[in-house]
Amino acid sequence: MVAQAQQKYTISGTIKDSGSGEELIGVTVEVKELPGVGEAANNYGFYSITLNEGNYTILYNYLGYKTDSIKISLHHNIKHNVNLTSSGSALEEVNVSAAKANANVTSAQTGMVQLDVKAISKIPVFFGEKDVLKTVELIPGVVSAGDGGNGFYVRGGAADQNLILLDEATVYNAYHLLGFFSVFNSDALKDVTLYKSGMPVEYGGRLSSVEDVRMNDGNDQSYHVSGGIGLISSRLNFEGPIKKGKGSFLVSGRRTYADLFLKLSSNSSLRNSSLYFYDLNAKGNYTLGENDRIYLSGYFGKDALGIDNVFGINWGNATATLRWNHIFGPKLFSNTSLIFSNYNYNVDINIASIDLGIQSTIRDWNLKEEFQYYPNSKNKIIFGFSSTYHTIIPGNIVSLDSNVKNTNIQTRYAWENAVFASDEFKVSDRLKFMAGVRLTSFSLLGPGTFYTYNSQGNIADSAKYSSGQFVKTYINPEPRFNATYMLNESSSIKASYDRNVQNMHLLSNSTSANPTNLWIPSSNNVQPEIADQVSLGYYKNFLDNKYEFSVETYYKVMQNQIDYKDGAQLELNENVESELLFGHGKAYGAEFFLKRKYGKLTGWLGYTLSKTELQIPGINNDAWYPATQDITNAVDVVAIYELNERWTFSATFIYNTGYPVTFPSGKYEVDGNVLYYYTSRNGYRMPAYDRMDVGATYKCKKHKHYQADWSFSIYNVYDRWNAYTITFQQNPNNPQETQALLTSLFGIIPSISYDFKF
Amino acid sequence: MVIGLSLLTISCQKVINVDLNSTSPAIVIVGNINDQPGPYTVTLNQTVNFSDPNSFPPVSGAFVTIADNTGNKDTLTEVSPGTYHTKKLQGVIGHSYYLTVTANGLTYTASSTMPQLVPFDTLRVYTLTNPFKTKDTVQFPQAGFKDPAAGNNYYRFIETRNDTLLSRIFVLDDQYSSGLFINYTLRSDTSLAIGDSVKVEMQCIDKGTYQYLSTFYVASGGTTEVTPANPVSTISNNALGYFSAHTSRYRSIKVPNQ
Repeated sequence: MVAQAQQKYTISGTIKDSGSGEELIGVTVEVKELPGVGEAANNYGFYSITLNEGNYTILYNYLGYKTDSIKISLHHNIKHNVNLTSSGSALEEVNVSAAKANANVTSAQTGMVQLDVKAISKIPVFFGEKDVLKTVELIPGVVSAGDGGNGFYVRGGAADQNLILLDEATVYNAYHLLGFFSVFNSDALKDVTLYKSGMPVEYGGRLSSVEDVRMNDGNDQSYHVSGGIGLISSRLNFEGPIKKGKGSFLVSGRRTYADLFLKLSSNSSLRNSSLYFYDLNAKGNYTLGENDRIYLSGYFGKDALGIDNVFGINWGNATATLRWNHIFGPKLFSNTSLIFSNYNYNVDINIASIDLGIQSTIRDWNLKEEFQYYPNSKNKIIFGFSSTYHTIIPGNIVSLDSNVKNTNIQTRYAWENAVFASDEFKVSDRLKFMAGVRLTSFSLLGPGTFYTYNSQGNIADSAKYSSGQFVKTYINPEPRFNATYMLNESSSIKASYDRNVQNMHLLSNSTSANPTNLWIPSSNNVQPEIADQVSLGYYKNFLDNKYEFSVETYYKVMQNQIDYKDGAQLELNENVESELLFGHGKAYGAEFFLKRKYGKLTGWLGYTLSKTELQIPGINNDAWYPATQDITNAVDVVAIYELNERWTFSATFIYNTGYPVTFPSGKYEVDGNVLYYYTSRNGYRMPAYDRMDVGATYKCKKHKHYQADWSFSIYNVYDRWNAYTITFQQNPNNPQETQALLTSLFGIIPSISYDFKF
Repeated sequence: MVIGLSLLTISCQKVINVDLNSTSPAIVIVGNINDQPGPYTVTLNQTVNFSDPNSFPPVSGAFVTIADNTGNKDTLTEVSPGTYHTKKLQGVIGHSYYLTVTANGLTYTASSTMPQLVPFDTLRVYTLTNPFKTKDTVQFPQAGFKDPAAGNNYYRFIETRNDTLLSRIFVLDDQYSSGLFINYTLRSDTSLAIGDSVKVEMQCIDKGTYQYLSTFYVASGGTTEVTPANPVSTISNNALGYFSAHTSRYRSIKVPNQ
């Protein structure tokens, strides 16, 4: 009897929302007859499963949607596109969802959290605004950089170590208005996924995290207008089909009018001042055929702050992504992207004897290709490349001031390339691995003059390069490795190791990043930052996946960390590299996470215990010191309670240990000035930060084509004066005495807004 | 500045108690030599704890010398507690000076080279509109001078108003103004009033002194934009303070009636 090799065939297709035509990200596709066999659909809703020929029932499962199934006779390749129907019941919506009920347990992915954007709308943040990045800060392992801080820290990493992507375009400054709102208008968003460890090989360039934010495509069935009016900002959203079922578009805009309140001021300079931002998101997509789809998405946003007409600063991001999805066959999916990203700021100063404008820009062009290959049910292979050309204009001064010349700090050019490949494979029903590598090369290019410095910071040597010449190249392999072992259906342990390399560095000499901070590339003086992280976690779901529990521990070692000489001048300084000091750091901690996903009460509790420290020769007498991101204890509580069809209540509570800060240990006098004496860097701590916000949403009676709701919120319900800064001064009433002054930004702030949808 | 104004409308402030460590006192050395006739002064003081009153003990009985690069060496005499004067040294443009202080068993050294002279051309009263109160005008002294195009130049201005020395530090460099005629306004907290007599000293200082004085306000704890640190000292062995060899030129004016 000759045993015949079984023929294998593939079922594949694209999964969408039946109501809007939006592709669904990460839907779980399983085979009823073969438990343990399954795939998660990719970021474009594409899935592919290869099985021995036979009869099967395929199940499509996604939280918030009714499970779909199809019986197939697999004797040839089958193409089956799926439209899932939203389950509609509010009680099944969750706050932080995984694609499958227990995908958090089974996936070969540590440190990943996928946010359900629809549910973010129930969590009020500041001034009643719903904000994606502010919600990300409520996840254990992520800490805000403080009130008014322009960033967040993930697992002890600095604010510039987070790769924030909007439809694959790098967003260099993801915050508006000095850190109170992010640039992401949640009306326009489909999915936000955060990676704290185990970053897939397609991502690279930042040490500590990836925030992959994806825009909606637009409803391809019918036209809709929606929006909201709030106390300080309003939004409007318009979407619809270009051709029903084939293409759609989406336009979303938002603007604040906080400066209207300035008009009420009795001070005429404040009346003539401005403080606003606006955002515009736009996207279009079109299906060219069975196997091809193109997308064009763009973002444009700007912040402006002006004081009378003596001082003005504006800054903004613009991004654009052109993408082409092509399905080569049932097993091979390709995404090609051409991406543009631009961040700039302008400062205008017109005070008395000073009259000048300062401008700075960073601009990227990126071509990226990613293939996903599903050869059989045991393997998922990803490979591709990415090439980015960076242009950095650190500062151009245009002067109408006779005391200052027009100056251009030299523009810098860099070319960053990567090739990557990974394989996710099932060793057995219980054990799954992902192994991959991302090989990156970063080259600093001419034209320009490049300097080296001696130990005093003076120029030791300079060399001139012409356009396109290679000044310095760094090549780094970044291995990535994850393993998942299922203890049983509902619990698993996972481990990962990843190396990340960062070649763009944000110079920020303040306790929080400013919009005018400068990005510099790796160079002959600045080496790439490297982080190696190992992570080990235990995951358990219980009560039929109603609760998710996890504890994740991590240990991260960072090389070539950058800090600054005392009193460093980082802005408009051609020789800024001479002000830098380099050393290494380490971060470690444990994150506990408990989520309740179903029922009237949903939400999560998070607790993180962690430590981050740096050792940089030249700082703190070469001893280890706590990094600004060292937040020992962090507690996050989110609770959402659906009382009935009309009313939903929510509350969030945050507690953080205060961040390390440098305070004086003494004082002295020079030339009639009392100066403070500092002995150690970050030797003290700010007071702890805690705050509770509450909110309530009332759904008005639903009409045939119109739906509306009112949202009420109170930020900082118990009016705690959280410390924004602590400064020191001579007591105005007693010059012999020195005192500490605490500045707090916000007390209790109630807010109201109205949202509508046609 | 960026943060300051926009949040003035809603932020709050209060005085709090902060528990600050005390630390063993550190020495503060301030020494100045110029190209005018001596004697030149070096003062030695100590730090005190943050919660102490602002009275800073002088360091007496220290051994202080200043030498130059042409073989002159002067041992300073303590004329009052913590204040030491030279006996015969004469500051010369272009010469380098070396300070040595031995106190409490420790030795501190510093050096400074007196830069070339840039003449102090003009001093006038400059009127500008206070940007935050459109009806008010304020007046400050304004120094005028021509910066040499070659090399890096650093300047310090000291204002004496009605015989009172202002403690405000005025320094600038020529990074963006090399070769231009510079009009530098000495803006302090208080406007000039009619009848004030103003004397301004213009110093050409060296790079080390400029680096110290330009990082001065970082250590005054009033700003939150940068990590606080001691100003960048050119004195060895972790001494606080500075040692500056500079040219000095003076001009005076009286604020006229409008």
